[in-house]
Amino acid sequence: MKTINRCLRSRWLLALFASLFLAVGASAQNEVRGRVTADGQPLVGASVIIKGTTTGTSTDTSGDFTIRAKSGAVLSVGFVGYKTREVAVTAGATFLDIVLEAEEALIDDVVVIGYGSMKKSDLTGSVVSVKMDAIKDISAPSVEGLLQGRAAGLQIMNTSQDPGAGAVVRIRGNSSLNGSNTPLIVVDGFPIGDAGNLSQINPSDIESIEILKDASSSAIYGSRGANGVILIQTRTAKGGSTQVSVNHRTTIGQFTDELNVWRNPLQMAQIANEELTNAGLPALYTGQYNNGTYYPSLIEIQQGKWSNTDWADLCMRTAVVNNTTATLSHSTDKAAINLSLNYFDDEGVYKKDNFRKGNVTLNGSYKLAKNFTLQTSNIFSIHKRHVNNTLEYGRNPLWPVYDEDGNYFVASETDFGHPLIISDNVKNETQGRDLISSLAAEWEIVEGLKIRTQLNYNYSTTVQDVYNASNTSQEAHDMNGIAQMNNSLSQDVLSETYITFQRTFADRHNLSVMAGHSFDYNMGRTLGTTAYDFVNDALGNENMGAGNPQKNVINNTYQNSKLLSFYGRLNYVLDDKYLFTFTMRADGSSKFGKNSKWGYFPSGAVSWKLHNEPWMQKLNVFDEFKIRASWGLSGNQGISPYQTLNRYGTEKYWFADKWQTAIGPGYEAGREGANDRYILWGGISNPDLRWESTRQWNLGVDLAFFRRRLRVTMDYYDKYTTDLLREKYLPLSSGYDKMWVNDGNIRNRGFELTLDGDIVSRKNTSLSATFIFSRNRNKVTDLGNAVSSGLSTDYLTGMQYEVCGQSLSMFNGNPSVYAIGYPMYVFYGYRVDGIIQQGEDPGFMSSDGKDLPGELKYVDLNGDYAIDDRDRCIIGDPNPDFTASLNLAFRYKNLDVSVFLNGVFGNDVIYNGYTYDPRVKIKRWTPDNPTNKYPRLNSTRSYLFSDYFVHDGSFVRMQNINIGYTIPVRKAFIRSVRVFANIENAYTFTEFDGYDPEVGVDGIYWGGYPRLRKYTIGLDLKF
Amino acid sequence: MKNLLYIISLCGLLTACDLQEEPYGFYSDDNFYKNETDAESGLLYAYNALTFLEYSRGIFYIGDIPTETMSPKSDEAGDVYQLENWIAGRETEQLKYYFKYCYIAINRANTVIDHIYNSSALSETARRRILGEAYFLRAWNYFNLVRTFGVVPVQTQMVAELSQTTPPMATGLDQLYDLIFGDLARADELLEVNKVFGRADKVAAQALMAKAYLTVASSKEHNVYRYTEMRREPQIMYDSAAYWAGKVVRDYKNSYDFDDNLRDIYDVNKPTGPEHIFIMPIDRSGTQEGNYSKLPLLFLPSNNSVPFYIRYGNGDLQRANGNGWGVFLCNDEFVETQFSTTDKRRTELIHRDIYDVSGNPIVPNQVKGYFSSKYVDPDFIGERTSARPYLIRFSDIALVYAEAAGPEEGLAYVNRIRERAGVTPLPSGMTVDKFREAVIKERALELAFEGNRLYDLRRTASVTTTDIKAAGLSEAEAAYYPIPQREIDLNPNL
Repeated sequence: MKTINRCLRSRWLLALFASLFLAVGASAQNEVRGRVTADGQPLVGASVIIKGTTTGTSTDTSGDFTIRAKSGAVLSVGFVGYKTREVAVTAGATFLDIVLEAEEALIDDVVVIGYGSMKKSDLTGSVVSVKMDAIKDISAPSVEGLLQGRAAGLQIMNTSQDPGAGAVVRIRGNSSLNGSNTPLIVVDGFPIGDAGNLSQINPSDIESIEILKDASSSAIYGSRGANGVILIQTRTAKGGSTQVSVNHRTTIGQFTDELNVWRNPLQMAQIANEELTNAGLPALYTGQYNNGTYYPSLIEIQQGKWSNTDWADLCMRTAVVNNTTATLSHSTDKAAINLSLNYFDDEGVYKKDNFRKGNVTLNGSYKLAKNFTLQTSNIFSIHKRHVNNTLEYGRNPLWPVYDEDGNYFVASETDFGHPLIISDNVKNETQGRDLISSLAAEWEIVEGLKIRTQLNYNYSTTVQDVYNASNTSQEAHDMNGIAQMNNSLSQDVLSETYITFQRTFADRHNLSVMAGHSFDYNMGRTLGTTAYDFVNDALGNENMGAGNPQKNVINNTYQNSKLLSFYGRLNYVLDDKYLFTFTMRADGSSKFGKNSKWGYFPSGAVSWKLHNEPWMQKLNVFDEFKIRASWGLSGNQGISPYQTLNRYGTEKYWFADKWQTAIGPGYEAGREGANDRYILWGGISNPDLRWESTRQWNLGVDLAFFRRRLRVTMDYYDKYTTDLLREKYLPLSSGYDKMWVNDGNIRNRGFELTLDGDIVSRKNTSLSATFIFSRNRNKVTDLGNAVSSGLSTDYLTGMQYEVCGQSLSMFNGNPSVYAIGYPMYVFYGYRVDGIIQQGEDPGFMSSDGKDLPGELKYVDLNGDYAIDDRDRCIIGDPNPDFTASLNLAFRYKNLDVSVFLNGVFGNDVIYNGYTYDPRVKIKRWTPDNPTNKYPRLNSTRSYLFSDYFVHDGSFVRMQNINIGYTIPVRKAFIRSVRVFANIENAYTFTEFDGYDPEVGVDGIYWGGYPRLRKYTIGLDLKF
Repeated sequence: MKNLLYIISLCGLLTACDLQEEPYGFYSDDNFYKNETDAESGLLYAYNALTFLEYSRGIFYIGDIPTETMSPKSDEAGDVYQLENWIAGRETEQLKYYFKYCYIAINRANTVIDHIYNSSALSETARRRILGEAYFLRAWNYFNLVRTFGVVPVQTQMVAELSQTTPPMATGLDQLYDLIFGDLARADELLEVNKVFGRADKVAAQALMAKAYLTVASSKEHNVYRYTEMRREPQIMYDSAAYWAGKVVRDYKNSYDFDDNLRDIYDVNKPTGPEHIFIMPIDRSGTQEGNYSKLPLLFLPSNNSVPFYIRYGNGDLQRANGNGWGVFLCNDEFVETQFSTTDKRRTELIHRDIYDVSGNPIVPNQVKGYFSSKYVDPDFIGERTSARPYLIRFSDIALVYAEAAGPEEGLAYVNRIRERAGVTPLPSGMTVDKFREAVIKERALELAFEGNRLYDLRRTASVTTTDIKAAGLSEAEAAYYPIPQREIDLNPNL
């Protein structure tokens, strides 16, 4: 523990260079020896270079170095994270004791902003830098999920645990009804698209992440900036050295909750019989055939003649993830190269359900001349997903796995639920390849004036193979096997050129200007082929020509869009006290109507560094006191290409003994009604269609106290989105249902707080804490003309609303609405006040038995003694009241421990299927068990969507506990060894009855399987 | 290096200047209607609007369910319940969708007419035929609108922009019938006799003309609401109906005639039989509902998903889907009191018992009522069948002729139909009124469950007297369904 190994450099290569140069230039030189230390510890691998030459060496494991230098020469000594020191070699001095000082942290960090970077202290907008240190030990296919709770105003929902699954990402709430609500993700200056599943990039390759929240920082991305921007910089080689590192993590996942299935078949059968008898139907488990299936009687079950199959055990396994990364980086004065390889293998909880990817990243730069640099960044990734995740683990435990002949047991001719049959006979595999590549040239024409041009290319292709054997579903059975092959290809070419100019005048006017333009061409195409009717299932989809050619289905799509932009930014700092930023972007998009192709997105911000005012300095309280205010306009493109054009549809018509193609006005633009059975027709052109625009105010303050050991950032914002892209209804007599218009407003307001403290900060011991609090209030303020928008009106309050989101079959409708004056996705339905008890007047009458004892006691809100549409009201809100997180990081010498807690508070969750769950069924109401909580069993009950199914989704999760130990090594070839272990999702505090309350933005809980607690062990080696 | 930068920048600028969007992968006004095949394909699109289930099921939901002839199974809720019990209104989905698809079909026909009316891109023969069929289709859909909803908005041009989406209300029934008769007259002039499965020809245009004239004639005669305002004279209307129906029943015997074998009319494998003047082209090889049909499921009872057999008098067994929904059941009273016991239309086409493959009755028979076998496809694939709605049948037009022309000219045609059904002929010497009453009753039996009955009741102002559930309705309520709420809300020009 006597050496500091935090950052390492290669000595041998430099030493090699050094000795070569030494051999050439040796004349009248003395041997100078010395030691480089910091905080009393020797620094290993610090560079020692003779100023003005390329001659140099680096320190050994004791921090010692030896170099030949003339008297009078100046040695430049550097180490990453420390201020470079220059030391003159004086005649006679043979041993130099050089102490490096740590660079002042944070305040002078350079942060990446759109089209450039700036000192953190000079920021005028609301920008958060994510501390990569906190998440580097966690294994994940993409980085977004790891950002949960790491930045104020950033909301991350890890809704799926399937292999390779991404996350839902929001910055400062939802602001679009039909367009995307996902932030733009920008990798090394290249806008890639929506955040959520950036699996092309290995999280270990990421150097820094910045979150642009307010309009002043995101408006530079114009029509794509309204949802905020996430900037990602990948690692590049630095510091004149060679580094090799290898790291590996192995993760295993275990359920945090028991699977909710029937474990006692007799109880299951009794419950099923009771359910039917209560509904006035004959019992099922009576030893009779029903619909071709034999259901044993209770006595037969009791006698143990039937099995009690543990289907979950057959379907599932322990999830295992392996993640290995190797990197090589090397840099010299002229060139730098960074190569990284990654293999990621995620074996999901369902057998055969997996995701694998391999990733190669190659970044390089080369100085062609002193003032001219070429850069390239190339990320290639290949992934393969085998999907086998819908197996019916809750299948009837009475059904055995095999029948008497040793074949898989099926209960009837129409039983297609056997998980092993599906697992063995369904193929669903997607392979993809992605390339993200950029080439840039930067030329510093004169000092302070730079021009940069960058060409970006993103290419992505997938191939999906699907085969459903004839024994795997009713449709596949009727069609004698269904084979599919689906391909997609997309590419994005972006050319970008901008000039930056930076100069300080008269020591007090600091000016920087940026101006540029870009052109983006985006293209996507798909080809899908389906074949039916195979003689047998032997070949799967390997030979689709062997199907029935008359039943082949082919479909292909193509779309392209163009975005032409001009943008500029002006930063002006006066006396290092008053800061001003103005940005402007003009975007022209092909997606919009011919009368409104262009949109203009200005922003402005001012900031005042109070701590640089003499009167404030006199107080001697604040190390930093900066106030910020910004306003700006940004946009959302919202829709797919071709929505403004007139569009015909194609159909088939049976004529002359074959299917003929029919073409004409109107195409299927959507669906409505139960099971989406009714087509909505679109296709009228709207030449006036334009962007959604978001204007945002932001007021913020940055404070630092106690020699910067306590740092506070607070922001208040008010974000108002207008011209929402919506489809409005047309009169039926137009022959169309809907067309796109700009109509409606949404408001998001919120408050964000970040507290950062270095509680203990000593040489061997440190403890720091970060507390983050975010609160967002979302409100739909306008949905356009009530009539043409097809808005419904609440009977009791006159509230206007429209249904949104997805339909739940349990309630035969959509639970969520957009209601004026309420947050997006609020739940609209009935109220339930317990269970109707025997002899009790439920307060309403019903023709289908809803008023019987043991049923849910709906509340007759309008007092007409009936329960109908007019008794509904807002019964829940899936948007959290606030979210908060706390990260504690502790270090004692080489041991580091961190604990991360994340909480979501005050959100409602719809427990879809609550009363179907075995755990709920067994607690049912019966005349002998007059509970007021669980209704009686009734197989034919139709459910109205009510607050009975709306549960509190608040939770606090011990999200991550990480322990790491850096083993000091003195071997020449190895620089550092770090071992660590962490537990993700260690424990969750919640009242929620289901597996886990972390669900999507619409607050609908789908069941699935319990959340995994993931145990990871890892090893990092550096050479 | 400087040059390189300029070149890159310049390339960006030049390629970018054009933000115009070119449609790709879909047809639009810009790239369609360039030649004859386009026009043909556009016409098929207009035909295909009739096959959407919202429209095609409406034939029965509206034409039969509200009448005394057909009733859904007792637990059927929603639209069917409302229609059956005459409580359907502006919000009833089936009515809304029926209304919507009439206009979708009209817009598709208008698009054909607008594009090829003066087009030189296609041969004169093709242009006449396609235009004629488009006129026929427009008239067909307006006729459906007028007899279901009465006075409705009029749209005679293709809708291309927002300003055209709110068509004005017709000034009265006269304006709508002017449009229908005008379109059919043009269709008659443009079209040739050309019997093709799934398409309309000259004879179809004449047949529809006869039906429309007869509707005006009898409605006016019976003082049906709003028909009283019409300027047309009932007798002239009857004469016109007789003229056009007379052409249909007399002039094209090679192509269109009675089918002497009653069951052949309903054989899914004989859609080109002599009876079929216009039939919906449905085939079980289709990939989506509309292309294939699930009509048998609506008509047939459930046998717990096990296919069953229907047995005919001669011992024939016909295979049928076992997973019927029993929504369109024949009304017991109608079957038992209106048909004579020897009427083949009852004995051969209405059933209550079901059989297994060997012809033995299935016990216990869970069938809850009478069901019709007019829509059975023994070669069904799962739920996919070729069962088709009969849009215009020769016997329909023969009865139109009889009703319009009166007993002297018409008796032979009615009796030809009665003879085929195995029932005694009507006597000669009936008064015109009695005879017309008898023809209407004959239509109820012959065209039962073919989407006809409601319109016969309406044009004779006998809805409220025939169906007890409709008793007490106002004249207007009995004669028309209200215009759907969404249209009222969104169209300021009503």
